[in-house]
Amino acid sequence: MLDSQGRALAAELVRIFERGVGEPLDDVAFNNLALRIFAYQCDRNAAYGAYARLRGRTPEAISHWREIPAVPTAAFKELPLVSGDPDRVDAVFRTSGTTRGGERRGEHYIPDLTLYHASLLPNFAAYLLPDGAELPMLSLLPSDRELPDSSLAHMIAVVSDRLGAPGSRSYASVDAGIDEAGLEAALRRHEAEGTPVCLLGTSFAFVHWTDSLRARGVSFRLPPGSRLMDTGGYKGRSREVAADELRATYVELLGIPEPFLVNEYGMAEMCSQFYDTVLREHTRKGAAGPRVKAAPPWVRTVVVDPETLEPVPPGEVGILRHYDLANLGSVLAVQTEDLGREVEGGFVLLGRAAGAPPRGCSIATDLLLEAVSGGER
Amino acid sequence: MRIDAFHLPGVDEAGIREWELREYGGGEVVLRFPVLEPDEIRRLAGRIRAARAIHLAELPVGAIVRAIDRVAALLQQRDHPARVLAETALPVITGYSPPMVRLILDRMTADWREPALLELLRRELGDPGVLDGFRVVEGDEWGGGTPGGAVGGVDVGAGIDAGPAGGPGAVVLATSPTAPPPQPVRVRAYGPELAFHIFAGNIPGVAVTSLVRSLLVKSATLGKTASGDPLLPALFAQILADVAPGIGECLAVCYWPGTATALQQAALREVELAVVYGGGETVQAVRGMLPAGVRLVEHGPRFSLAAVAREELAGDAAYRAAAGVARAVAVFDQQGCVSPHVVYVEKGGEVTPAEFAELVARELEVVERELPRGRLSIEEASAIQQLRGAAEFRALAGRDVRLFTSAGTEYTVIYDDEPGFTPSCLNRVLRVTPVADLAEIPPHLAPLRAYLQTVGLAARGERRAALADLLGRAGVSRITTLEAMPWPPPTWHHDGQEPMRELVRWVDWEG
Repeated sequence: MLDSQGRALAAELVRIFERGVGEPLDDVAFNNLALRIFAYQCDRNAAYGAYARLRGRTPEAISHWREIPAVPTAAFKELPLVSGDPDRVDAVFRTSGTTRGGERRGEHYIPDLTLYHASLLPNFAAYLLPDGAELPMLSLLPSDRELPDSSLAHMIAVVSDRLGAPGSRSYASVDAGIDEAGLEAALRRHEAEGTPVCLLGTSFAFVHWTDSLRARGVSFRLPPGSRLMDTGGYKGRSREVAADELRATYVELLGIPEPFLVNEYGMAEMCSQFYDTVLREHTRKGAAGPRVKAAPPWVRTVVVDPETLEPVPPGEVGILRHYDLANLGSVLAVQTEDLGREVEGGFVLLGRAAGAPPRGCSIATDLLLEAVSGGER
Repeated sequence: MRIDAFHLPGVDEAGIREWELREYGGGEVVLRFPVLEPDEIRRLAGRIRAARAIHLAELPVGAIVRAIDRVAALLQQRDHPARVLAETALPVITGYSPPMVRLILDRMTADWREPALLELLRRELGDPGVLDGFRVVEGDEWGGGTPGGAVGGVDVGAGIDAGPAGGPGAVVLATSPTAPPPQPVRVRAYGPELAFHIFAGNIPGVAVTSLVRSLLVKSATLGKTASGDPLLPALFAQILADVAPGIGECLAVCYWPGTATALQQAALREVELAVVYGGGETVQAVRGMLPAGVRLVEHGPRFSLAAVAREELAGDAAYRAAAGVARAVAVFDQQGCVSPHVVYVEKGGEVTPAEFAELVARELEVVERELPRGRLSIEEASAIQQLRGAAEFRALAGRDVRLFTSAGTEYTVIYDDEPGFTPSCLNRVLRVTPVADLAEIPPHLAPLRAYLQTVGLAARGERRAALADLLGRAGVSRITTLEAMPWPPPTWHHDGQEPMRELVRWVDWEG
């Protein structure tokens, strides 16, 4: 849990998050909060404080949030990055460990889940439920009880509980995989009753399921208002599918139109998430517009050059660095390996570099990494 | 700059329906290839196989050596148009810096000159004349041989330089007047009529070496280049066709994506032998589609490492070792199978392992001026930054981890006392792992046993001999000095295999 100063900061943040994503947070206000949070984190997290000192970027030395030293996601594999006692946290979310079999998994210590929820709910509602719909949330991911390490499972559990209609549940288990029969029976019911649903899951799970639907010649015309949220990469899994190909499959086999297909971008190391703006734009303006990822006002994203770690000129491709105020209990500045480009209204995610194999005949393939780790995942 | 990066004898350009243009360096270099169909591969295979019967099958190996030597000599001339083209285009295509490309070209072309090729043939085949005609088995050279062993008169030079092949290769045996005359056993080595080579793109020149070996055994050869370097093999084939038009008719080189399964299958159906270079997935895919009866020579992914004994960690020897390690890491920007990922450094020397890590970093700084690191993709640069950040936090978490780096991503040396073998993300990222005794290395390597290749070893005398044995048992296929790591001799047993012998089929003529 957070100490008293942390709780005060959290309360202040919750009030801002509760205003929703439509209420902008200007740079002065964001800066003020980010610098106070940074100072708090340096003080409560000795390793991070030392990291900042090594860079000459201590709270005393900097005046703008862009100067806050970012922590590479790989560092989450090395030590608990937490403001306070790592043994007294609400949750530890772990990276999936699927992109590079056998590697150590990153761990994100969350001292206070209420702040996580305060960021999650208005953001999800704004981009998945901009029409105010209350829908059954049908998940292709095993439940959070089965996957206590998974931030995505937790996220789905919370939105199902707080924003979902009756009938919300997971149609998958760790042992048996996706319960296709159960899921498809539920979808047939909704199809017959004309009641829309919200499907949620990893892109990988959707590829797997839609492959199966296609093989069996099964398809749905889900009622208008139905929508789908997919997320994450599936590198190194059985099959990679381009995002647009996958969306075409959703349209064809599920009958969900393009603007109702929302890709989420999130990571275990962050308390806030990003969503495609298409459904929100479609609902508010009648036109979905380009597929862009938007952050809530309490998150800023900077695209940096991987060589210098300095920001690239606007519009150029680089790696994404996020400043997430909801990461109060851990570290707010996170340097990812994800490729992206800044565009009007947000950024375009171009792929996740993590797990990208190096060139060369000494390529570290999954096979080799498994050999190194003795096959453990 | 637009370059035709293919050599397809008998293919009429006017008849090509579709071209693929591959851009490198944002269009600075554009390579052009015809888009081939499985049927065209089949016809092409038929053509070069037929050309082989006319131009190559009966050509003495010495003549093939001389033709290849002429190509290599031209590529060594700094002002030859092909060399100029290679030096201009390869940095853009491969990302290697221009000095690195020059170094690679200089070293690789030397391996294709006549002396190196003759040495290779002699080392592998004993008498290269076995490629031209039946030759009497000498002693136990081929694991069999004639009783009494003594055979006279096999003149290697004559085998190479003598006129038409297939002539009387008979050699008079020294016979004893008292014993019954031993039956002379003659052998001849036949290369495949047609071979298919699938290349990896990480090091320019490796593909050419593969083509050279295939031609030496008189095989018509179809080479599929990789997107990483489709140029040099095509250039080589084009020049060879100028220098020796007949041999040029027996060689085809083109690029197509490795995912074009129908083309791969079409080629594999035509050949006796396939040679594949590449990552685990590439090799596995080829293995999976291999028709029955086609032999496969695999050069899959390999890891190399360096090791420095405590006796070498004093005075000048320590500096020499650090310079050797740095250079081995720098050459090919660590992308070679011969490039070290980890250097194990023994404790107890005058220079500690951590100090040695710093020395290597300083040497990498020096090497950078002479052989700058190449251009990286965003993913590659990002991987280096992540690794550095993680190492810093390991140190901040209280582990004995020290980081020695350039200001940019040019080089990274990580001293980490955690035992094991952690593969590098490449591009001059080296891990220094301290060990109490170099004899402790084998257990670290056990999980990688099947993927080990070169060990650059700094140790002398009996220790060197003992360690060579230990490392050989652990699965490595080459033990050498730090300095020689990047440049195996042309005769090396690449990945523990036999570069020429694995290509041929032996015929015994017992009498």
